[in-house]
Amino acid sequence: MNCEKYQDLLSDLVDGLASSEDRASVEAHVNGCVVCAEVRDDFVAIVAFCQDHRGEYDAVPNERALWLRISNTIEAEDSGARTKVNVPSGAGWWFRLMNSSWQLSFPKVAAAAVMIAVFASLGTMFIGKMSPQGGGVATQGFGPVMNGLSVDDRYRQQQQAVAYWNQRVELNKARWNQQMRETFDRNMSVIDAAVNDSMTQLRQNPHDPVSEDILNDALNDKVALLKEFSEL
Amino acid sequence: MFSIILTSISSSVFAQSQQRLSRNFPAGKNVRLELRNISGTITVETWAKDEIRITAEMDTRKATFNPRQTESGLVIDIVGDNRGKDVGDMNFKIQLPARSSVDLETRSGQISVNNIQGELVRAHIWTSGDIVLSGINAARVFATNTIGDIFFDGEFASGGTYEFKSGKGNITLRLPANCGFRLVATAPTKEIKMGPFWHPGMKLMGEGRRIIGDVGDGRASVTVTDYQGNINFLRR
Repeated sequence: MNCEKYQDLLSDLVDGLASSEDRASVEAHVNGCVVCAEVRDDFVAIVAFCQDHRGEYDAVPNERALWLRISNTIEAEDSGARTKVNVPSGAGWWFRLMNSSWQLSFPKVAAAAVMIAVFASLGTMFIGKMSPQGGGVATQGFGPVMNGLSVDDRYRQQQQAVAYWNQRVELNKARWNQQMRETFDRNMSVIDAAVNDSMTQLRQNPHDPVSEDILNDALNDKVALLKEFSEL
Repeated sequence: MFSIILTSISSSVFAQSQQRLSRNFPAGKNVRLELRNISGTITVETWAKDEIRITAEMDTRKATFNPRQTESGLVIDIVGDNRGKDVGDMNFKIQLPARSSVDLETRSGQISVNNIQGELVRAHIWTSGDIVLSGINAARVFATNTIGDIFFDGEFASGGTYEFKSGKGNITLRLPANCGFRLVATAPTKEIKMGPFWHPGMKLMGEGRRIIGDVGDGRASVTVTDYQGNINFLRR
């Protein structure tokens, strides 16, 4: 059996559905094959990610771009297979690179999709982190023209950053004294009120630029405050 | 000489019981002071000497106070120096030359800055505390808190940038009659009182939740945002 055949069995192996005979065969092969071991690790990571985030998949900032990238990868794999070029033995690295078939197995494509999704989410968090806030340096809004997202989409994205930093704050809260906890909660409720009020306004008037700006400001303030207190 | 004195002082760490410490640092006229406090009052005043005097009152002996020299001035990072420690309130009184820039930040407590004529005045309170900036004539001023009032009494320089933001508190700006600025003031409460600076050319947006318009020559940029409070303009 070659690597391709073993990799076809990896999914069942990771899911615990492989027969004992297949399991023994695949495990023996994987122990001696670095490539298949990597594919197996990718599968394990994907399954673990899906189990950890069951039913909690957040939309990535630009789903269409993500799927286009995946689609391009698959197309590249197909066209690579069709236009395979014989590489001369003395060919340089550029020739090999440009004429590479870029054959990717399904696990690799799936792993790439997960990685893109994870990096896109992290990117969203860092955008929130880098936004002018707290110091009050700017007050620009996040109008639909800027990034093509609706207010709800933008709100949902920002909530991912909020959830991330909130988790870190909750871990540290036990160390805080009572006064600090009360101060933090009281101030956070002021920002939450601003978020809720502007969301209410936007539901009544979805194109209200004042409410959009306030929502944007308040969400940035919230992330900034959480971030600051997550360091305590 | 400045470096030697400052370095020798910077290297010392004062970890003593509740106490009041005063230290002087040589400084040029355009020095920049950065203070990042955890909790407590910060008061900044100017004087005629070319030096910075810092007086710190500390609640606890565990507090570390370790000023650091930078190319442009002095940095006091109480947050960084006391990470993971409960140091209670630290109250600062700072005296420095009028041409200084000050960048002040605390998680809670009051900030008061008087008579600064330098490039920058920044006062940021992460949570609760009032900000009072009086006699200010700086090219860039930023004052932000979450709960608390903000009061500014000063002048806007042509081409300068001024931002004031509070989550819950009143913002009051007291300005000379001849000042010129381009204003964006936002208050969901619709309580924006322009006083003598109002004129019919100003534009109301969002049913009065925002006012945009030029006052005088409109050369300074002024942004005022208040989520749950009033914005008031007064003439000196």
